[in-house]
Amino acid sequence: MPDWKPDLRRRLAGLQLPPAREAAIVDELAQHLDDHYRDLIAGGAEPAEAERLALADFQAGDVLAKYIAPLRLASEPSHPPPAAPGQSLLAALLQDIRYAARSLRRQPAFAAVTMLTLALGIGANSAIFALVDATLLRPLPFPDAGQLVAISERTPATPEAWVSPVNMTDWSTRSQSFVAIGGTAPNVASMVLANADGSTETIPRQWVSHGVFDALGVTSVAGRTFQRSDDLDRIERVVLAESFWRSRFNADPGIIGTSLRLDGDPYVVAGVVPDEAQILGRTSMWALRNVENLPPAARRQYSLRAIGRLKPGVTLEEARADIDRVAADLAREFPATNTGRGVNLVPLRDTIIGGDLRHTSTLFLGVVGVVLFICCANVASLLLTRTLARRRELALRTALGADRRRLTALVLTESLMLAIGGGAIGLAIAALVLRAAPALIPDGLLPATVTPTLDLRVAAFCAVTALVAGVLFGLVPAWHGASPAPSQLTSTRVTGGGLRTRQWLVAGQIATAVIVLVGAGLLVRTLVAVGRVDRGYRADRVLTMMVDPPGSPSLMAFYNEVERNIRALPGVRDVAWGTTIPLGESYLGDVSAEVAGANMAPADRPTADFQIVSATYFSALDLPIVAGRGFDGRDTADGQRVCMVNEAFAQRHLRERSPIGARLTLRSQSSTTDPGSECEVVGVVTQVKGRPDEAHDLMQVYVPLLQNTIGDVFLFVRGASGDVNALSPAVRAAITRADTTQQTSVRDLQTLDDVMLDATSRHRFRAALVTAFASLALVLAMVGVFGVLLYSVQQSAREIGVRRALGAGTADVLRLVAGAGARVIGAGVVAGLAFAALGARLISTMLFGVEPFDPMTFAGVASLVALTAALAMAAPVWRALRVDPVIALRNE
Amino acid sequence: MTAINTRTLDRELKRGSAELLILSLLDARPRHGYELSKLIRARSNGRLSFHIDSLYPLLYRLEERGWIKGTWVERAGARRRRFYKVTAEGRKVLAAQRKAWRAFVDAVRAVTGDENA
Repeated sequence: MPDWKPDLRRRLAGLQLPPAREAAIVDELAQHLDDHYRDLIAGGAEPAEAERLALADFQAGDVLAKYIAPLRLASEPSHPPPAAPGQSLLAALLQDIRYAARSLRRQPAFAAVTMLTLALGIGANSAIFALVDATLLRPLPFPDAGQLVAISERTPATPEAWVSPVNMTDWSTRSQSFVAIGGTAPNVASMVLANADGSTETIPRQWVSHGVFDALGVTSVAGRTFQRSDDLDRIERVVLAESFWRSRFNADPGIIGTSLRLDGDPYVVAGVVPDEAQILGRTSMWALRNVENLPPAARRQYSLRAIGRLKPGVTLEEARADIDRVAADLAREFPATNTGRGVNLVPLRDTIIGGDLRHTSTLFLGVVGVVLFICCANVASLLLTRTLARRRELALRTALGADRRRLTALVLTESLMLAIGGGAIGLAIAALVLRAAPALIPDGLLPATVTPTLDLRVAAFCAVTALVAGVLFGLVPAWHGASPAPSQLTSTRVTGGGLRTRQWLVAGQIATAVIVLVGAGLLVRTLVAVGRVDRGYRADRVLTMMVDPPGSPSLMAFYNEVERNIRALPGVRDVAWGTTIPLGESYLGDVSAEVAGANMAPADRPTADFQIVSATYFSALDLPIVAGRGFDGRDTADGQRVCMVNEAFAQRHLRERSPIGARLTLRSQSSTTDPGSECEVVGVVTQVKGRPDEAHDLMQVYVPLLQNTIGDVFLFVRGASGDVNALSPAVRAAITRADTTQQTSVRDLQTLDDVMLDATSRHRFRAALVTAFASLALVLAMVGVFGVLLYSVQQSAREIGVRRALGAGTADVLRLVAGAGARVIGAGVVAGLAFAALGARLISTMLFGVEPFDPMTFAGVASLVALTAALAMAAPVWRALRVDPVIALRNE
Repeated sequence: MTAINTRTLDRELKRGSAELLILSLLDARPRHGYELSKLIRARSNGRLSFHIDSLYPLLYRLEERGWIKGTWVERAGARRRRFYKVTAEGRKVLAAQRKAWRAFVDAVRAVTGDENA
């Protein structure tokens, strides 16, 4: 066929038509000339003659241009710019989209299954991406968050110690690198707010120094934040968190400048800050702690965590050099306190988002990535079947002149449309998951400022995932679909092409499912091991709460009266006081313990969890004393100072002597110069776990409350029977009766069982999530097995029929079909186990009580996969067995 | 009878009788340009024929007037074709032109007295 288009374009050239319009006219006229030419050839003309005659239909001169020129189309503005090849590409794309939409509409079930499969993968990925984005990628929610650093002190004994307020103000005034430095108390405690009507309520509060909000870069929502002058004028002040201000004071701006009565004293409300400031601590308000003009002795009070903001352009290294210089100056000026003390600067983000969270996020991302792969493989498999079934159509298109590129584009367009549909549904799934997430994620796993939300970044991730998935799972069918042999045109039977590809896909799916299942198995085994851990104490039905009376000389009398009141309550078996909750919070942290006569350098001295407990503590928690005695009436305030150690401490540090009678000097761990207090070991007590999954036995030292009376103590109430929570109103009332000042705050009510659950929540969360995804992966992989086997049975129905006709028995057919399936599954399982063995090491930090290469888990996963595979194979095999040789042959 | 020469037809084009031909043919069903040109030639026994470079500008003009509407139609494996059909307005015009043409023919016949006019 001659190409008429150049001639036609030449005839229209003078008109300067819009390119699209010109192309349309050229198309139409070329079609006319084609038709005419074909008719002439059919009438017996030679090609050259036919071409000449067809063109002879044009009159002499520029008649075409002359007739078109007066028309409106000739005077239309000529845009888009001439020679835009995109136009025809775009047209082709639109055509493909219309076509794909039509063909998907014709098979709604196929489209729905495909999109839902993808939506599951994409939804899960997007939800987990939101978590990863919040934890690993996004900066902290403060301006120039990269300039924020956590500051701690360093001594020969501890690499990271709390900060002295006096040192902190010296760093701030003497260094050149910081915009601001501020400190916070490590804990959030609480204050009792007295209302005008005489009622009281307990409000969480954290002590902070001035400078802390400036360092964070937090600006007030109302009023102002703390300033240095606030510290100097020594007026008590608080700053409220925005959510507290809104909920408790209805966002009343009039509250600024007024006084709240907290713990009996007036505190002026300086301002309100956004909740982002809760990165310091989950609290409702911050009270100003004085750090300016403190007495020299305060240099020993290592009681703050400090944060600083580097000046713009100052790097961490420059700041470190600067602060080291200041620390060296301080050591020269104050040798008694500062000799050997250094300063650590660490990016704040690294301290907020710990390694545990980073590992967990990465693990989840890996797992959902695998699930997405399995989803894509299933969809590719589905599409491939469809494409192969459409081979005749595609062959016809090829015969009619569609080129390979065009066919590939057609098949890919379909994949992409499915992917986009799946992505949209996936985004909805992600939104649902994220809405439910706060209830599912254990408390404390995420820092206060980290909230996974569905934002533009997650939506963008979802879109990109959908597109990449669309291209990935579309490539295989596009490859197969775009190369149909011409013979396909006449064949009525779809040939078995693509079966091998599908078998590979299914083996890959099984392998990945095995990997995730092994991971889930290991994490579940960890959870079981953690749950079985010997906590040390035996008591159940124990209620605990933090009791925080205002400091007074009669503290011990108060504790005694509370204890008496509670013991008088029906259903109470025992009452005790202590500063550490087993498996929970240790209020006082570690001390450095020097064993008399052991001659150890300060850095080598043992450290131990320091607990102040009442004499009843051990009996109340059923904590056996294995040597010596517990605390009792002999250990009075002015008697011989005594202590108890746990088994691990005795075995490790008092091995060469009888532990009873050994003398320990206990010092604040962060101080090199604390003279410490000496005490005599009177007993050894059973090991109690600090964390359920601790790798090394925790060292513990106990001292009696009577000799070390402090505020902020946990109350332990052991019930006789039934639900111990039912005791809490009576216990609170008993405390109130003893509290003459009405300023005692009671908070953090929980049972020891709750504490245990909390302590294992991370393990449970990880195990539950990974198991859920692993189950999904298994189901999807088995759908793949089912699909490929059914397909292969359909493909080989004729072969089976021939074999049956030739006398093959049930066993032979079974061998043929199930054998093929078993080979694919076997290959997948073996590959999966091999990769899992390599990969299990990556999660070894999350495992406890189970080896990464745990034979039981590996064997269990292999049998589970084999079992479910047998189920998935049942229907296709059944179908193969029922192949009627006559019908199978007649089909041909 | 001699074939009407091109020049005559072109004059007719301007006068509107060519428009009547096109609208009449499209009134039956949508057709593409080549089919129109073949039909005109065949039904007039070769006495009427459109040049390609007259036919299409005429189609475009009718389309611009809103009397006919062209749409591209895809057929599997074939080059796309533009089919034209008469619009509602085109049908009104056609009715009016048919009436006028009949009146003209009747008038000519009455004057010439020729049964075959």
